[in-house]
Amino acid sequence: MLQFPPWKIGLIAVILLWGVVLALPNVVNMSGAPGWMPKKGVNLGLDLQGGVYLMMEIEADEVVANRLDVLSRDVSSTLTTPQSDRIFNLPEVKGRELVVRLTRPDADGNFRTEDALKRLQKLNGPVGGVIGGAQMYEMRISGKDTITITVPQAAEESLLKDALNKTMTIVRRRVDPEGVSEISITPQGNNRIILEAPGEPDPQRLKDLLNRDGRMTFNLVDSSPAAIQAAQAGAVKPGFRLLTGDETGPLLVNNIPEIVGSDIANAAQGFDEQNRPQITFRLNGNGARKFYETTAKNTGKQFAIVLDDHVMSAPNINEPIPGGNVRITGNFTQQEAIDLAAIIEAGEMPAKLQFLDQRTVSPTLGQDSINAGYTAALIGLAAVAVFMVLIYGTLGFFAVLSLSCNIILIFAGLSGVGATLTLPGIAGIILTIGMAVDANVLVFERIREEQGEGRSPWTATQAGYERALSTIMDANITTLIAATILYLLGSGPVKGFAVTLSIGIVTSVFTAYVVTRMITVGYMKLLKPKRFGI
Amino acid sequence: MLIKYWPERTNVPFMNMRIAGALFSMILIAASAFLLGTRGLNFGVDFAGGTVMELAKTDTVTVPAVRAAMPINAEVNSARGTDGREIVVVKFGEAPPDLLGEDFQSLSDEQKAERASGATNELIVQTLSDAFNLSVENGDFLRNDSVGPKVSKELFTDGITALIVALAMMLVYIWFRFQWQFSVGAIAALAHDVIITLGMFALLRIEFNLTSIAALLTIIGYSMNDTVVVFDRIREDRRKYKKMPDREVIDMSLNTTLSRTLLTSGTTLISLFAIYFLGGPVLQGMSFALIFGIFIGTYSSIFIASALVLSLGMDFTKKTVEEVQGFTGV
Repeated sequence: MLQFPPWKIGLIAVILLWGVVLALPNVVNMSGAPGWMPKKGVNLGLDLQGGVYLMMEIEADEVVANRLDVLSRDVSSTLTTPQSDRIFNLPEVKGRELVVRLTRPDADGNFRTEDALKRLQKLNGPVGGVIGGAQMYEMRISGKDTITITVPQAAEESLLKDALNKTMTIVRRRVDPEGVSEISITPQGNNRIILEAPGEPDPQRLKDLLNRDGRMTFNLVDSSPAAIQAAQAGAVKPGFRLLTGDETGPLLVNNIPEIVGSDIANAAQGFDEQNRPQITFRLNGNGARKFYETTAKNTGKQFAIVLDDHVMSAPNINEPIPGGNVRITGNFTQQEAIDLAAIIEAGEMPAKLQFLDQRTVSPTLGQDSINAGYTAALIGLAAVAVFMVLIYGTLGFFAVLSLSCNIILIFAGLSGVGATLTLPGIAGIILTIGMAVDANVLVFERIREEQGEGRSPWTATQAGYERALSTIMDANITTLIAATILYLLGSGPVKGFAVTLSIGIVTSVFTAYVVTRMITVGYMKLLKPKRFGI
Repeated sequence: MLIKYWPERTNVPFMNMRIAGALFSMILIAASAFLLGTRGLNFGVDFAGGTVMELAKTDTVTVPAVRAAMPINAEVNSARGTDGREIVVVKFGEAPPDLLGEDFQSLSDEQKAERASGATNELIVQTLSDAFNLSVENGDFLRNDSVGPKVSKELFTDGITALIVALAMMLVYIWFRFQWQFSVGAIAALAHDVIITLGMFALLRIEFNLTSIAALLTIIGYSMNDTVVVFDRIREDRRKYKKMPDREVIDMSLNTTLSRTLLTSGTTLISLFAIYFLGGPVLQGMSFALIFGIFIGTYSSIFIASALVLSLGMDFTKKTVEEVQGFTGV
């Protein structure tokens, strides 16, 4: 127990030195250091750095409904036969069901509901194309001439997973089009996304960016005043919708788009001839061809560029437009143009996002918290040091030395595992400072008892460390259990607290039990004290 | 020992006081249960949902002015900020739907329920920005948290689950390392600590949020730590002094560990007071709970955990001694 062969001392020294190297970036700017040294200190949590935290959820209902909506078009074309083009009512999505009602199933005696179902089954397939996997849809006859199509659990999960991945990409492209910011976007569970934007003061801008569907279309327009007036009075021309735009006023827009979001290759903010912000975008090959054909066929007419049912621009087609370069000028600020370009380029969200939890801390408040935590830690440390030295004298001083090593190792551990330091995490460190001396106290109390029974420093120290070991382990393992559970079930700042507490427990057992013991043995060898002043 | 007054050898007859201790604890538990039942916990936005905002206090931004400017029911209070400056804390739930604009009206009921707190947040930021010429970009809103009903419910369930799982795991650990009597004693002590700390939260209307759950779990960890130290000593002394009655063994063990107990809680309390006074308001609730927990945890190790072991009896025959010895040489 008191033998410290050179290899053991070497190992302990290496651990401590490695701790110093890992912890160094937290106090010194390491940009000029040699390549092998770590450059990055502890990550600061949003509560310390300031910034925006958003938790969003993709609505499962909407994902399923969108899928069924797409299916309904296939259902229509599948059931449309050359002989009778309408043997069913237009299929309707009701919540999570697609209901197909056959109007004349038995009209010619050879097309029954069962036959319709058989045909529709051809639209079905295994989830994700895996042969033998669960089926994408469940189709059943739910009435005399009604077929109900639902999405079973397994298929819904796979749909959600796809939607989540797609949404994460879109979120990333919208909030960080350049791909340079520190915004982190992480999935949680199977339908949630957590976005953390350090240093961002305004949650509203992010929410506005993410709230839009991003459905961009080019549609032809009926601009005759009579039709618009009729629509405003409530009689909308079939196949058209009445939409408005800030610049254009009310317009009758064709329901079937000429160009859709997937035809767009990229979009960017630029400036027009008067140096006003504008959005420019380029269509891909397919889109450019379609655009040329449409403009060629409709020269002299007007078309509308529509984003989420809002007309952004409605230019006249003066001549066929080749090349597929389009620009939208309007009354935007530069920031609005940048954001709109990001939305257009990122594409359409698979489903709308719900904001479940939003938290914002201003960067100044974060800095104040760091300062307060720093002061509290220093004062706590100083007070504990004084206390230990007053009560245990020389041994107390050794405990303080290893406590300092402990703090270095905690920061080394936090930096090493890439943990995030939060405000409760700082509290965890300060608490560890108080509790870390516990192992030392347990040992010193034992040494004092043994010395009281007349034993020499060597035997007393030996007995003290041996006897206190099982207590120290039991005591720390139970605390570690609490910290682990806190980590597994906690969220955000609380997780940060659990991480610092766990790292603190491990390092404090090492420093208090091993480092202090080594120092004490060295002290006994060098100065050969008759007894400890404890 | 440089401080001569530190109790080196004490002889307090703890176990003679165990009936009084049990009565005292029962009164505290009854009072806590009563407070929790009548007054309840003061849930923060983490668990209750809704919004809390913090604004720096200025000549114009004052508690009465903000209260007057709020278009909906809100709790407006002043508090001390992290660096000592005064802040105005505004806490509110959801605005009535007719204030939330046309877009909101068109949502389904389910969507309305989930979006109301976010929409209310937007409304209030707008209202306060206009009324006091504040700007989000300049960081005038020091803090702005909105939690929807779905997440707040989940956070609460997760928190309670964490507490129960932690208690269960410790029960198993102590059972494994000691005997079932010790396990019962330790868990009773922990449950005692949790209930009374919750009672304290209810009595003083301290905000109960995610950080409070972290504090409760830390108290559990600390109290367990303390109990284990005492248990270890009881086990050791029980084996060493075979003829001595249980009551005397336990008293002796408690007295020999008393000095350590006081020292460790002393250093921990020093740290916690440093957080309480210097750590700013966010950590104040947490550090207060921990300070209270250190006292109650130390008390329960003696008067609940050890006293229960005495009442339930110990049995260290040769065989179990072999079994329970773990950790030799690290």
